[in-house]
Amino acid sequence: MKIRLPRRALAIGSALALTFGLAACSGGDSEGGGAGDAIVAETAFNLKTIDPHRQFEFTGSTIDNAIYQTALEFEDGDLTKPTDGLCSYEMSDNDKKMTLTLKQKDAKFSNGDPVTVDDIVFSFKRLQGIEGNPSFFLDGVTVKKVDDETIELISKNPNPALPYILPNSSIGIVNAKVVKENEGTTDENDGAEQFLNQNSQGSGPYKVETYDADSKVVLTANEHYNGPAPKFSKVVLRNVSAETQVTDIQSGQADVSFDLSSDQVETLDKNAVQISSLPSTRSIYIFNNTDEEIGGPTADPNFRKAVASALDYEKILDLAGENGQRMASPVPNEFNGAVPKDQAPDRDLDRAKKLLDKAGYDGEAVPFHYASDQAVNGMDIAQLAQTIQAQLKEAGIKLSLKPAPSATQLDGFRAAEQPMGIGTWGADYPDPSNYNVFVPGGSVAERVNWAEGDNPEIDKLAAAATKAEGDDRGPAYAELFQATTETGIWVPLVQPVSTVVVSNRIESYVSNADVTFDFAKAE
Amino acid sequence: MSVSATDQQKNLRPPKIHPLLRFILVRIGISILLIWGVTVVTFLMTNLVPTDPVAAILGDRAAADPEIVAQTRERLGLDQPLIVQYFTYLGNLLQGDLGVSNQTRVPVLESIGQVFPASIELGIGAILLSVIIGLLLGLLSALKQNTIVDHAIRTLSLIGISAPTFWIAAVGYFVFFFKLRLVGGAGRLDPWMTPPPRVTGLYTVDSLLAGQMATFTNALGHLILPSCVLALFTIGLLTRFSRSSVLDIIKLDYVTAAKAKGLAPRTVVFKYIFRGALVPIITVVGLAFGSLLSGAVLTETVFAWNGLGQYAYRGATTLDLPVIMGVGLVIGIVYIIVNFVVDLIYGFVDPRVRVR
Repeated sequence: MKIRLPRRALAIGSALALTFGLAACSGGDSEGGGAGDAIVAETAFNLKTIDPHRQFEFTGSTIDNAIYQTALEFEDGDLTKPTDGLCSYEMSDNDKKMTLTLKQKDAKFSNGDPVTVDDIVFSFKRLQGIEGNPSFFLDGVTVKKVDDETIELISKNPNPALPYILPNSSIGIVNAKVVKENEGTTDENDGAEQFLNQNSQGSGPYKVETYDADSKVVLTANEHYNGPAPKFSKVVLRNVSAETQVTDIQSGQADVSFDLSSDQVETLDKNAVQISSLPSTRSIYIFNNTDEEIGGPTADPNFRKAVASALDYEKILDLAGENGQRMASPVPNEFNGAVPKDQAPDRDLDRAKKLLDKAGYDGEAVPFHYASDQAVNGMDIAQLAQTIQAQLKEAGIKLSLKPAPSATQLDGFRAAEQPMGIGTWGADYPDPSNYNVFVPGGSVAERVNWAEGDNPEIDKLAAAATKAEGDDRGPAYAELFQATTETGIWVPLVQPVSTVVVSNRIESYVSNADVTFDFAKAE
Repeated sequence: MSVSATDQQKNLRPPKIHPLLRFILVRIGISILLIWGVTVVTFLMTNLVPTDPVAAILGDRAAADPEIVAQTRERLGLDQPLIVQYFTYLGNLLQGDLGVSNQTRVPVLESIGQVFPASIELGIGAILLSVIIGLLLGLLSALKQNTIVDHAIRTLSLIGISAPTFWIAAVGYFVFFFKLRLVGGAGRLDPWMTPPPRVTGLYTVDSLLAGQMATFTNALGHLILPSCVLALFTIGLLTRFSRSSVLDIIKLDYVTAAKAKGLAPRTVVFKYIFRGALVPIITVVGLAFGSLLSGAVLTETVFAWNGLGQYAYRGATTLDLPVIMGVGLVIGIVYIIVNFVVDLIYGFVDPRVRVR
């Protein structure tokens, strides 16, 4: 049957062709050149809020680093050297009192108001009072205004970690007057979060222009910033999956990519991009439950040590990519109190098998829990779990993999119901006291039912580390975490690498462990 | 004045409702019941997940503080019995309140209002391509049954149905954006462009309304590739469905009679065969459109298309219960409306099912 297409069909076909034509024309606009004075950064959003006193996620922190100044900073991103920010500081001999003195008297908020001691006091008190995720930073600290230039932070117990805590972007200084006018308070009745999401109140190099927690945040330069004006007057941070970031960074669609894994970085044309690899402040470890009813064989120290001996750490390191590091304790290698990484165990299958005999392990499958949708600095946790399963099998340890979405896995871990699995910890602040969560009775230790008193020797070391002052703190904590790791309750696996990929359009930039990428210093 | 018995009987009868209106009213009634059913199912399914949403909201430190955990539970109403939670939810729904996201604290309705137009724009683009290309290919395939054209079309439709969307999206993005520069990149506009003033939320429409031609072509450039990727599956589906439907009709007596009467081939094909074959096809188009509007997680992820699918995915992975329930309800309503419209279209297309 011969038919001719009706005119309407032809018209529709022509319209489609026109659409493709227009699309093709538009495609040409996308070649990077349109960015001008905007810097485009891409990351897979982990963003709940940019209210500094509530945010506690990577994306929120990246944004707030550009918006808010803090009382103290880290010198050139060196996490071991807290230095002056808006204030200078002095610690008392017993580490119970910190005196802050307003130093940057020319600092101004984005509406032109000067930064005052009252703003700093309000910010500290708001952080404490609203009971958000980062409120614990100033637990047990009393904030007191002394005069228009001085603040005292008085801690109940010696608090040598305080200078390492204050540079955190969650303790950003906000304009107290404006925040109070918009339902901001220093207690749990605070209602300024949505206001702060749309109208940042900081004194940093940028201020928020538009905020959409699902897709895009746009920042513009703060004309009242007291530092050098940023070269790029606009920052566009977009929510883009890591797979798409690979194409975008090479095409010029994006200038900065935060989430590429080592495998993805390998595929990039190294002449087209710049790669900055930094040691991450994340730790990845295996946890073993100490409760026999829950963990079965994992409650036996010999079984746990067998696990530590059966792992092929070099192959695990390959998964992290170049610059990933071994760990001899849960504390990242660059931190004070870390156990030197050359003390990390090596694989010894014979030893592992002997320890399993000693433990009387009969080959029963141990449930092994992990977050199947999680990647830590591009390191795929599901792949890591499968690798561990294969390695332990060579020693005769049988794991039954229990993948779950992050939220579900975390729920079970927090409830101390999981026998064994993969845990991750990101430093809240770069001080060894932050890792007290891993010692008996600590919040993470409770998830494997390891209570204070279960191991008196470690309790003594913990007490000694807490009391240690000055240069003695590092060795005291290192001894504590070495003993903690030797129990096999934690088996540190790897300190991954934080990779930032930057397009060649950016001629110079600062990327360090503190801010990851400093938008204000990019040129 | 006397009134006859027949007239009295007529007056006593309830006024006659037009059958089409009655049909519509009944369907609306059923739809309301269905929507209520959707609220029950989404609420129960969401709340029976064996995990604690508070764990997903709080950080490690805050979660270790029983006081903060209890306060959060109270704030979210999670300390109430399930039945109380449901009626609170239903009461709020009746006032147009879908709750507030546990993660971002933004009202769910507001967020859905932001992301749904993106899905509609993508869905309309994809369904237009699917219907036009799928129906024409299916028709051509049936008319050229068992020829090389038929085999080629069937093979292509099989590829469209079976190729993983995520893979097609990634390859399409690499080839058409990165290598050939034929289309726009990820997102609904180039990153440095400002969206047009919001009227409908559809960037192509809003930019035209605002007279911003540069924004329009840019938005169109970003829309075309994800639409094509998304349409591939439905094109394959519709091609196969319309081919099979046309083949069923082509053998019927009334088609033979039309040919015997000497009608022009074009008339026979489009007025007799195609129209008769449309009824089952409309059902598939309706379901496909509902599915496209409900969000396409993988396509949206590759193209950073901030639509309902991505919003739902983030809600699910962060155990954001109000978001999960809100999206579930919206998707349910979308399907109910689409089916309702499909039922109405049946009547117009096929006289045999027209309401009398």
